[in-house]
Amino acid sequence: MSMGIPEIEDADCLLCFGYNGADSHPIVARRIVRGKQKGMKIICVDPRVTETARISDIHMQLKGGSNLALVNAMAHVIWEEGLTDDAFIKEHTKGFDEFLKVIEKYTPEYAETISHVPAETIRKAARMYATGKPAMILYGMGVCQFSQAVDVVKGLANLALMTGNFGGPSMGIGPVRGQNNVQGACDMGALPNSYPGYQSVTDPQIQEKFEKAWGVPLSSEVGCPITHVPHRILHEKDEKKKIHAYYIFGEDPAQSDPDLAEVREALDKCDFVIMQDIYMNKTGLHADVILPASAWGENEGIYSSADRGFQRVRQAVKPAGNVKPDWQIIAEISTAMGYPMEYKNTEEIWNELIDLCPSFQGATYEKIEKFGGIQWPCRDKSMEDRGTPYLHKDGIFATKDHKALFYGTDWHPPVEMENDEYPMSLSTVREVGHYSVRTMTGNCRMLRNLEDEPGWVQMNPDDCKRLNLKKGELVKILSRRGYCITRCLPTERVKPGATYMTYQWWVGACNELTDSYLDPISNTPEYKYCACRVEKIEDQEWAERHVQELYADIKTRMGIDKGKGDRS
Amino acid sequence: MNYFVKGNPDLCIGCRTCMIGCVVAHEGKHIFEVDPDSYTFAPRLHMVKTARLSVPVQCKQCENPACMAACAAGAIYQEDHRVLIREEKCIGCKACMDACPFGAIDLKIVTGMTQADGSEKKTANKCDVCHNIPGGPACVRVCPTQALRLVTEEELNDDAQKKRMEAARKASLALSAQNQDENRKV
Repeated sequence: MSMGIPEIEDADCLLCFGYNGADSHPIVARRIVRGKQKGMKIICVDPRVTETARISDIHMQLKGGSNLALVNAMAHVIWEEGLTDDAFIKEHTKGFDEFLKVIEKYTPEYAETISHVPAETIRKAARMYATGKPAMILYGMGVCQFSQAVDVVKGLANLALMTGNFGGPSMGIGPVRGQNNVQGACDMGALPNSYPGYQSVTDPQIQEKFEKAWGVPLSSEVGCPITHVPHRILHEKDEKKKIHAYYIFGEDPAQSDPDLAEVREALDKCDFVIMQDIYMNKTGLHADVILPASAWGENEGIYSSADRGFQRVRQAVKPAGNVKPDWQIIAEISTAMGYPMEYKNTEEIWNELIDLCPSFQGATYEKIEKFGGIQWPCRDKSMEDRGTPYLHKDGIFATKDHKALFYGTDWHPPVEMENDEYPMSLSTVREVGHYSVRTMTGNCRMLRNLEDEPGWVQMNPDDCKRLNLKKGELVKILSRRGYCITRCLPTERVKPGATYMTYQWWVGACNELTDSYLDPISNTPEYKYCACRVEKIEDQEWAERHVQELYADIKTRMGIDKGKGDRS
Repeated sequence: MNYFVKGNPDLCIGCRTCMIGCVVAHEGKHIFEVDPDSYTFAPRLHMVKTARLSVPVQCKQCENPACMAACAAGAIYQEDHRVLIREEKCIGCKACMDACPFGAIDLKIVTGMTQADGSEKKTANKCDVCHNIPGGPACVRVCPTQALRLVTEEELNDDAQKKRMEAARKASLALSAQNQDENRKV
């Protein structure tokens, strides 16, 4: 995020794009609600009536998969109506004229045909955003989980650039990340193309620096993105590129990745799979070795929040038995493989990291403890450098000439559109109470009391009527790749023709249906759009029994305790 | 006057933390340690979501409760600024559910008590404004957006006074605008 999370509530205008804070991050949603109380104007772009949409001044309930058409149309209006910040564009950016050529054809009327949002509403929203000072953009997985994802992120950045909304507090663009500490994973270099601190693996000087520090030769090639793994196991012809071993920790690809049938095949055909997690999960069913890890409350170290803030996490309880923290497990595996790692504590690891990353160098444990958190970049170890709450101060960007680049692209539709056989669209979503793949929250009895297997499919009441479906009825939902059983939830918050499912349920696993088509740059799958069909199940008694059997079977295979904590 | 808890749909994000807070407050911490089958998950307030509304709904603690009038067993009474249910007296006839105009009452299973046919006892269940629970209503305490508040007699009077002031201010503004218009005409 270019801004800090506490700054959200002080924006004059918030453009909330494909981001459902109330279900994904209630603590961030609280800032949005507080902003509203302080008079912040809210534009919400979401195909569903989310909690943010409810309190927004303008809700653009677009058709799924039309993001870029709408973003380009907003840019078109801002330009056409002379609402641009010309001084900012002239002094701090490049490529504006080329960008104008791209957005020329995106009149609100043209965008209306794609997004189904009335042209006049698009105009009003563009004016509201462009005249709000400061104006902030928050976006979420509703932008990132499309085959056209990075283009939309750039499109949103274009809006902020053309209105001069960078370089001060409560402005800019903010991806509100999908997982706890995913920012930290990226900061630590758990990306195929970078070392810690976003230093490129293809830069020879950087390579040399890390080789010297770690005393080993390192590869100059970009690694394999997680979403390419099934292909590299199943279909790779080049023996050198074929993956034979897969070490997975804190991740459950057999639940969270698209096209689960393919994922299971890949895990089964892979020579060696290691799973390291706090509880048994679907991936564990395909693992050769399971390493028990300790949970967040049992660990200590540093997490990065979505706004680049390093925060100390502390141990609240001691792990049971001989379970070890992740860093110790990694160190022991590494030592056993011939590269001794002898860290005494997390601070030693942290100090090694910050000394190798110029933009983190000043973020010492001492400062993080003293100030409660430090947002990078923080380059100096003196107590005076307290980090950077917002980026690009005074319009100075992290490019060679310090100028930001406009980047215009044309909209294209999602890969798999509705058709006669699969007439509806499916998008995966979140629900508050169950986090990610339920490895943690599915084991929390209170949350299980609120919602349990097999979950729900959200549908418009008109579609339910057409298919003769009642609330709570079990239905079969299918795509080209597979099917699952879930419960029907009629709700006026979704538009006809679209369905939504949360992705954590073991029985109602919507990723049986999703498509593994990826954004070409980020390699993120198109979780937010595929074609599906909902079928009525006539024999509901059988269906209820069947769901219970499937649930019991999964629990048996996972070896989940049959005594305490089991209802069956 | 009876006190009550009120939800504000402008602040509510529909997260249902209030429902969990309610169960934890009434069941006690032991529910985290025992077999989940040995207690009932019976929140005393419910999240209502419509196309454009999210808000928890619970008992209004009426001054002249229809539920109390409808109760043949004399199990519903008023005490300590609230409407309460004597679970041991409740016969599960559901007349109170039928009478309540807000849908604020449901039936719950009382674990550990049996009824005449030997099955688990079922009684009426509703918000008791966290009677005898230290710290006051749990839903108010746990809400991440402060969307719930306890309304007492004093607060209700303060609110009414504020509204009267606002009404007076608007009336005087309207009057001065009218005077200006007339002056212009002259």
